[in-house]
Amino acid sequence: MGKKKKRVSSKVWCYYCDREFDDEKILVQHQKAKHFKCHVCHKKLSTAGGMAIHVLQVHKESVTKVPNAKPGRESTDIEIYGMQGIPPDILAAHYGEEEDDVPSKAAKVDIPPTQLVGGMIPPPLGTGYPSRPALPTMPPVYNPAVPVPPNAWVVPPRPQPWFSQPPVVSVPPAAPYTQQPLFPVQNVRPPLPATAPALQTQITPPGLPTSAPVPVSQPLFPVVGNNHTTTQSSAFSAPPLPSSVPSVTPVMSTNVPVDTHLSSNSSVTSSYQAIGVPGGAASNSHSYASGPNTGGPSIGPPPVIANKAPAPQPATNEVYLVWDDEAMSMEERRMSLPKYQVHDESSQMSSIDAAIDKRILESRLAGRMAF
Amino acid sequence: MATAVLTTGRELSNPPSDGITNLRFSNHSDHLLVSSWDKSVRLYDASANVLRGEFMHAGPVLDCCFHDDSSGFSAAADNTVRRLVFSSNKEDILGRHDAPVRCIEYSYAAGQLITGSWDKTLKCWDPRGASGQERTLVGTYPQPERVYSLSLVGHRLVVATAGRHVNIYDLRNMSQPEQRRESSLKYQTRCVRCYPNGTGYALSSVEGRVAMEFFDLSEASQAKKYAFKCHRKSEAGRDIVYPVNAIAFHPIYGTFATGGCDGYVNVWDGNNKKRLYQYSKYPTSIAALSFSRDGRLLAVASSYTFEEGPKAGTKADEQDAIYVRSVNEIEVKPKPKVYPNPPA
Repeated sequence: MGKKKKRVSSKVWCYYCDREFDDEKILVQHQKAKHFKCHVCHKKLSTAGGMAIHVLQVHKESVTKVPNAKPGRESTDIEIYGMQGIPPDILAAHYGEEEDDVPSKAAKVDIPPTQLVGGMIPPPLGTGYPSRPALPTMPPVYNPAVPVPPNAWVVPPRPQPWFSQPPVVSVPPAAPYTQQPLFPVQNVRPPLPATAPALQTQITPPGLPTSAPVPVSQPLFPVVGNNHTTTQSSAFSAPPLPSSVPSVTPVMSTNVPVDTHLSSNSSVTSSYQAIGVPGGAASNSHSYASGPNTGGPSIGPPPVIANKAPAPQPATNEVYLVWDDEAMSMEERRMSLPKYQVHDESSQMSSIDAAIDKRILESRLAGRMAF
Repeated sequence: MATAVLTTGRELSNPPSDGITNLRFSNHSDHLLVSSWDKSVRLYDASANVLRGEFMHAGPVLDCCFHDDSSGFSAAADNTVRRLVFSSNKEDILGRHDAPVRCIEYSYAAGQLITGSWDKTLKCWDPRGASGQERTLVGTYPQPERVYSLSLVGHRLVVATAGRHVNIYDLRNMSQPEQRRESSLKYQTRCVRCYPNGTGYALSSVEGRVAMEFFDLSEASQAKKYAFKCHRKSEAGRDIVYPVNAIAFHPIYGTFATGGCDGYVNVWDGNNKKRLYQYSKYPTSIAALSFSRDGRLLAVASSYTFEEGPKAGTKADEQDAIYVRSVNEIEVKPKPKVYPNPPA
């Protein structure tokens, strides 16, 4: 756990978002496109301060935060250019990061069990640690509408690695579940009704059969700071629990691709990551609009329960998805047009036979054989 | 950044009368096979701009491929898999699926034809057998969902289906997939193409993104994978995200072209994570792309792919067309990586 990350010292990285680059020229290009770009006229400036001055002088607006920057690194006062100007303490902290801070990049792959010798898991697949919470523990928030659990309740065990077996926590019967607060409070879970089975969040390591899941203590919803009283429409507000709660099996996305945002890639520079949450809309810095004439609801990405809150992002453009039908492809939709309807020859023959039979039957009923 | 070329390339005469589903260059010549929604497969001599043959089907033809310079295969929406003989302009039915046949590939390594269908199966055929499904069908392999795209390299077969599933097979042992994966992209898979060097595949989605994946499951190989955004534009305060319909690898340099519903063809250097070139905008969506065997020609199908549903009328400049452009080395050759001088 305490092992230092092996880093190639030649790698350069962005102070604002921690992304690594092969050389400083590309880093500067990235900073201009992602962090030093005017949100009004899209002009690329050389520094955050330069961008702030430009916005103030040209557009008469004040910019206090660097766009797309991590919390705590949004100041426009620090003069950063490539790797120059990074405070020494942050430099030291970056190169001294621990190994387990890096998200796993292992492919989500299912290898048929017959190919594993003696049922063993190949080394790249057999190792993994639970992700740590992104934010520090929040102070307890109390809502009079949510009953406080009595002292006698068993405290759930601390998060364990997936390969160890935490003790099963038994939930004693609670009072009948009557009323939900109008605005559910983030991270405060009402007691489960007596009929509800214990909630289990399960993750199966790749390569192991899903029939023997190993429990992992995971938060039911992503942690969101400060928004203690969120409305039901919020992506992260807790939905009212039903009278019987099924076991939750989240899709653990161990495979988040790295986007190479090169300035030459496209005109769109805003980065986004959709996170689906049961009972809430997809949390996204953009709202995906439905494509025209696709005849169905806008279906977003498959739901993923995330442990980390999305970094606060500046207001960005609405994203319009030209093809938003996840249920079928463009060709399948096109095939439904009358002009493309086909029957293969065998079905055509059977329909001809059926027509002949019908004709014979009709003529017999009419008392004559007419062909 | 290189500027866009003014011309789109030479337009082939006698194009299909409806949308183009795919086009393929022959491995032996500059012949081009084109399948279409107009129920035809057409054979062109791309360098001479001549239509050499046309084969009509009972329904739209969703894919086609060459066997050799004298014959090819087609996958049709009437559920049939057909062999096309160019010299005699004759065709025969190799076999059938239970739903429209979406993809077709011929494996020179295995001597087999592989078809993928919306009936959620993959079928392997031996075209050397006499006609008739019983004699030509080698095997039927169930898939998790409807097959959307196929690609072959050597004995490796990559199958992308609906529901973002990706199955990787070894053609020498089709009893079960070598690997079962989930697409690393969050939206519907549009196209999959294997790297010419056989180490992995590129996979594109309807959400303007391409993922570069590797077959090897070692940590070192999996650390190399990445995805990038493309075929997008900002307009009037919103970002428009187009499907990436086509991927074609350059046979010599291993760089690749992508085509999207935005009407652009971009050329990328996957190793250096750079865009090498963007061709000038085509009249409508890019439905398919193919490099010739020597990489000197690029065939571009500019054809509406139904991304915005049925259209009342098509403008004259948006008609389905096939463009064949001569490829300049500067457009496809990877640039050597320039490392900054280490500080003294």
